[in-house]
Amino acid sequence: MTTASMHLSESARAASASESRFRIDVPIAPARAARVVALDDRAASVVRRLAQRSWAHARFYTSREVRDGDGLLHELDGPTVPLDEVLAGTDVVVVLATEDGGRAAAAAIGRICGRRGITTAGVILGDGFEADDAVAALRPYARVLLLSADEGDAFELLTALRV
Amino acid sequence: MAVLRKDINELLTQTGPGTPMGELFRQYWIPALLAEELPEDDCPPVRVKLLSERMVAFRDSEGRYGLIDEFCAHRGASLWFGRNEGSGLRCPYHGWKYDVTGQCIEVPSEADNSSFCQNVQLTSYPLVKIGDVLWTHMGDAATRPPLPEFEWVHVPAEQTYTSKRWQQCNWLQAFEGGIDSSHVTFLHSGGLKTDPLFKGAKGNEYNLNDTKPFFEVADSVGGLFVGARRNAEEGQYYWRITPWVMPAFTMVPPRGDHPVHGHFWVPIDDENCWTYSFDYHPVRALTETERQAMIDGHGVHSKNIPGTYRPMANMDNDYLIDREAQKRGETYSGVAGIAMQDASLQESMGPIVDRSKERLVPADSGIIKARQKLRKAAIALRDEGVTPPGVDPAHQRVRSAAVVLPQAESFLDSCRDAVKVTPGVAQTSV
Repeated sequence: MTTASMHLSESARAASASESRFRIDVPIAPARAARVVALDDRAASVVRRLAQRSWAHARFYTSREVRDGDGLLHELDGPTVPLDEVLAGTDVVVVLATEDGGRAAAAAIGRICGRRGITTAGVILGDGFEADDAVAALRPYARVLLLSADEGDAFELLTALRV
Repeated sequence: MAVLRKDINELLTQTGPGTPMGELFRQYWIPALLAEELPEDDCPPVRVKLLSERMVAFRDSEGRYGLIDEFCAHRGASLWFGRNEGSGLRCPYHGWKYDVTGQCIEVPSEADNSSFCQNVQLTSYPLVKIGDVLWTHMGDAATRPPLPEFEWVHVPAEQTYTSKRWQQCNWLQAFEGGIDSSHVTFLHSGGLKTDPLFKGAKGNEYNLNDTKPFFEVADSVGGLFVGARRNAEEGQYYWRITPWVMPAFTMVPPRGDHPVHGHFWVPIDDENCWTYSFDYHPVRALTETERQAMIDGHGVHSKNIPGTYRPMANMDNDYLIDREAQKRGETYSGVAGIAMQDASLQESMGPIVDRSKERLVPADSGIIKARQKLRKAAIALRDEGVTPPGVDPAHQRVRSAAVVLPQAESFLDSCRDAVKVTPGVAQTSV
């Protein structure tokens, strides 16, 4: 049996243009501690450009040696950091690839993140064909794969995630 | 940093004359009204508001369709009150008469041989019937593209059905639901088991058994393909592939041999839109049962207040929410019907949602990418005159698809033929 009221309801009023003005308006804090990892040289160039923008908690890396369970990432200014340390306190990892060179690292990062409950997203730049293997390696783990010819999509994704 | 700056939100949501997004929409043929609204020659005219412009549509004594400025050039009376007779629409106030091009053809107060009316021309747009829809192009006639070639309006009449409903929110938040595959698992879970136009498909089991889909978003020449992936049998994934053709055409991946459905979202003004909803089958006639289910508001359609295109369940009656049915598991949100489940939540956001307040997650990448494409296309058109994707009819010949693939296979590579229109070939579906 329907329990609906037939008079003008609270929700109807709340959705009106005039009532929208009374929504609680408080600043939203950046929500995610993101790690952004380039899997190959061209992706590293993109990540360097991204890193120059203003971010709250995002940190940027290039991959060096990543095997299952351990490995090293490069910070953009040079020093290497254990993957384990990079992932501590992280809730989202965004990996960037432009070709297949980083497929082993892609799979390893995906596996480790999967085990730790860290959401993984992949941005594959280019026509897609050059990075087939990297895509296949990421597919089981990445909650989202964005296949794009537009470098700006990586920026848009990070911006939308409030990192 | 805000998710989406207010100025970008305004750019994407404002479609009136002279706005970047309004000019973008004016590059395309868009649905103006259903053909059933002008059922015969000299029938009553219909008010039409699109992209914040008020017009009146009519079908003259020779069966020609016209879409002209709603207001008489003389004193500004609405031509909705006009008398549709003798190959023109006559204002009942002082008798000025217009043809389907908006050309004034009679001013009774002038001398019989006066040429005055030749200088009076109302703004008009073409109105063309293709399938069950009357289409218009509100942009520059010099750059008018070829007529649309979406498959749903080109199959024989017995294979297709189109409805429309008024949605009380900006077009973008309605459209974004069309490429947001992750909500189906929750909001529409009841419908997968009970809706006559959905139930029974093998693919529904995959949907219901795996509530955490993975997504792949890829560019297409006309917009995007959004692939939603769920676990199927050992070593296999179930893929549901949603195409978006710019600016506002989306298709729902099919289920079994049910007709294929989709939407065209058309701005009325900045706080209202028309949702055109269609079902068609590429190779067979719709059964009487299927067509009746569509008329009754099942599937993606809505049950409307008779004589209107306003849904019976609407914001003034809380969408007839039924908390008991929700408790029984018949509906997830308590609102009945796929269409109104979507509309109720989209309208609840307000007329134009403030996207600077969103907290998006990676699963929203399709929406993020679509906004980016729309913004870039609108700016490229404004600044460089670049024709946007989706104008070319070749971009419109797409289909949705549902497939089971080995885990290592790319949906893009494996479904190249499945997402293209091939006349005489059925949809690819599970």
